Amino acid sequence: MNLSYLIEPFQYRFMVEAMLMAALVGGTCAVLSCYLVLKGWSLMGDAVSHAVLPGIVLAYIVGAPLAVGAFLAGLLCASGTGWITNHSRLKGDAVMGVVFTGLFALGLVMFTKVTTDVHLNHILFGSLLGIERSDMLQAVIAATLTLVILAVVRKDILLYLFDANQARAVGLNTTFLHYLFLALLSLTIVAALQAVGIILTVAMLIVPGCIGLLLSDRFGRMTAIASGAAIFSAIAGTYLSYFLNGETGACIVLTQAIILTLAALFGPKYGILFRARAARRAAAGREQ
Amino acid sequence: MSHGSTKLNKNDISSEIDLHVNEVTVAYNNGHVALFDTTFDLGAGTICALVGVNGSGKSTLFKTIMGFLTPTRGSVTIGGKPVQVAQKQNMVAYIPQAEDVDWAFPVSVMDVVLMGRYGYMNFLRIPRATDLEIAIESLRRVNMLDYKERQIGELSGGQKKRVFLARALAQRGRIVLLDEPFSGVDVQTEAAIIELLRELRADEHLILVSTHDLGLVPSFCDQVVIINRTVLAAGPTHDTFTQENLARAFGGTLRDLRIDHTDAPDGTSNEFRVLSDDEEPLIFGHDGRLVDHWHPGIDEEESK
Repeated sequence: MNLSYLIEPFQYRFMVEAMLMAALVGGTCAVLSCYLVLKGWSLMGDAVSHAVLPGIVLAYIVGAPLAVGAFLAGLLCASGTGWITNHSRLKGDAVMGVVFTGLFALGLVMFTKVTTDVHLNHILFGSLLGIERSDMLQAVIAATLTLVILAVVRKDILLYLFDANQARAVGLNTTFLHYLFLALLSLTIVAALQAVGIILTVAMLIVPGCIGLLLSDRFGRMTAIASGAAIFSAIAGTYLSYFLNGETGACIVLTQAIILTLAALFGPKYGILFRARAARRAAAGREQ
Repeated sequence: MSHGSTKLNKNDISSEIDLHVNEVTVAYNNGHVALFDTTFDLGAGTICALVGVNGSGKSTLFKTIMGFLTPTRGSVTIGGKPVQVAQKQNMVAYIPQAEDVDWAFPVSVMDVVLMGRYGYMNFLRIPRATDLEIAIESLRRVNMLDYKERQIGELSGGQKKRVFLARALAQRGRIVLLDEPFSGVDVQTEAAIIELLRELRADEHLILVSTHDLGLVPSFCDQVVIINRTVLAAGPTHDTFTQENLARAFGGTLRDLRIDHTDAPDGTSNEFRVLSDDEEPLIFGHDGRLVDHWHPGIDEEESK
C-alpha cells in the first residue's frame, strides 16, 4: 500500500465536497447538540427528524423546496408536542412518541402514494456522495442561518435552559426563546437530512454534545470540543467510507460513537477509568 | 460574610417598593384553584416569611409575584407597576431551591452571577466593565470570590446557596424572593444568609422568604404571611406568628408538646407549649405568644 492510495479519496471532487458538507452539517448539529444534551431534550431531535417526512412529501407535491416543507413539519411537531403536553394529562415523552411516529407514518403512507424521483433510502439514510447542487445550497443556507442566529442568542438560550425563572426575572421572553430554539432545531435537521438522513441525524444531534460534556465543564469549551469532534468525524467518516465502500452517514456516526466511547473511558476528569483510579486512591489513602 | 464591601447605593432604591397582592385568585388549566382571594401588602425594609403546609400555594404565590402565572382574578403590583413592567426594570430577584438547579450544568460561579446582569447588558449579553465589577463585588460580599472559576457542582450546599445570593445582589433587585433558603445548608451558612438578609433589609430591600424552618422565622423575619390557599394571617411577626394561627395553618402536622410548671414557687401560671416541625421548636407561653425562639448552640451549651 503506497501513499497515493491513501490520498486517493481527496482526488475526487465529489469526495471533497462530501467531506466539506458533512463537516458543515456535523459542526452545526454539534453546536445544537450541546443545548439539547444539557436540557435533556435529546429525543426532541429524534422526534423532529422523523416528523419532517410528511413535510418533505407535501413540498414535493406542491413543488416547493423540500427544505421548506421539512422545516415547517419539524416546527409543527416540536411545538405541537409542547402544546398537547400542556393541555392534556399525558406526559411529555408519551405525547412526543405518538406525535412523531404518527407524522412519520403519515409521511410513509404519503410517500408510497406519490411517485417521486427521490429515493426513500436517500431520505432515510442520506446521500452525501450523490448530493445535488440545489440540496447542497439549501443545506448550506440552513446551517449558516442556524449558526448566525445562535451566535446572537446563545447566552439567552443558555440561561433559559439553565434557569428559566431567572431568564424571566431579568426580562427575557422565554416563550419566544423556546420557539426560536425549536425553529433552529428544525432548521439544523433540514440541513442534516441531506447528509446523513433521518435515522442518523439524531446521532449527530446527541453524540457531539455528550463528548463535549464528558471532556469539559464550561459551556464554551464544551461547544468547541463538540464541534471539533463532529468535524473530525465528518471528514474521517467520509474518508473511511471510501475504503470500506460503506454508507457514508453510518461511517460518520460510527466515528462519533468511537470518540464518545474513548471520552467516556479515558476522559481526564469524568472518564470511567479516571474515576475508578481516583476511587482506588481514595480507598488506599484511607487504609494508610 | 464580609462587611467592609460596598453597600448598595441607597439612591438606587426608591421609597416606593411596595408589593401589593390584591384579591388574587389563581386557577390552573385543570381547574384546580391553588389560591383564592389572597390579599396582603408589604413595604420596603422588610423581611417577610411566607409559611404554610406543602400544597398551601406558596410556590404558586411566588410564581404569581414573579409574573410566571397570571392571576385568574385580582392583581399583583410592585411599586405601583404591573409585575411584567417591574421585571423589565430588574426589580425582582429570585433565588431558586437547590433541587431546582441542574448542578452538572457546565457553568462557572462567575457565569451564574453574571446571569443576574443580563437585563443590563446589550442583546449579545457581553458583560461590560461595570457588570464584571458588580459581579465581583457581589461575590466578595457573600465570601465566594475565591471560588469564581469553579464549576457550580463542585461547591458545598452552603456555597451553592451563596452563589445564587450573589446573583440576586448583582441583579440589584429591590425585591428578593428566596425559596427554601435553609434546606440543606449548614448552621454557619444559615447564619451568614440571615446576616446578609438583614443587611439588605437595612438597605431598604423587601425580602420574601418561603420556608419550612418555623423555628428560625422569629429570629430574622419582622413580618409573616401564613397561607393555606388563601391568607390565614398576615402582619408583624409578634402578632401574627401565634400558636393559634400556626395551629390553624399546620393542623396536625407539627409536634405539639405541653409543658406545665404551675407548681413554680411564685405561683404564676407557667404553662409552655412547644410546636416543632423537627427542625427548631417554637415555644409559646400561656398567652399563646412566642416566649423565645430556639438559639442553636446556646441551649446546647447550657444543657451541658
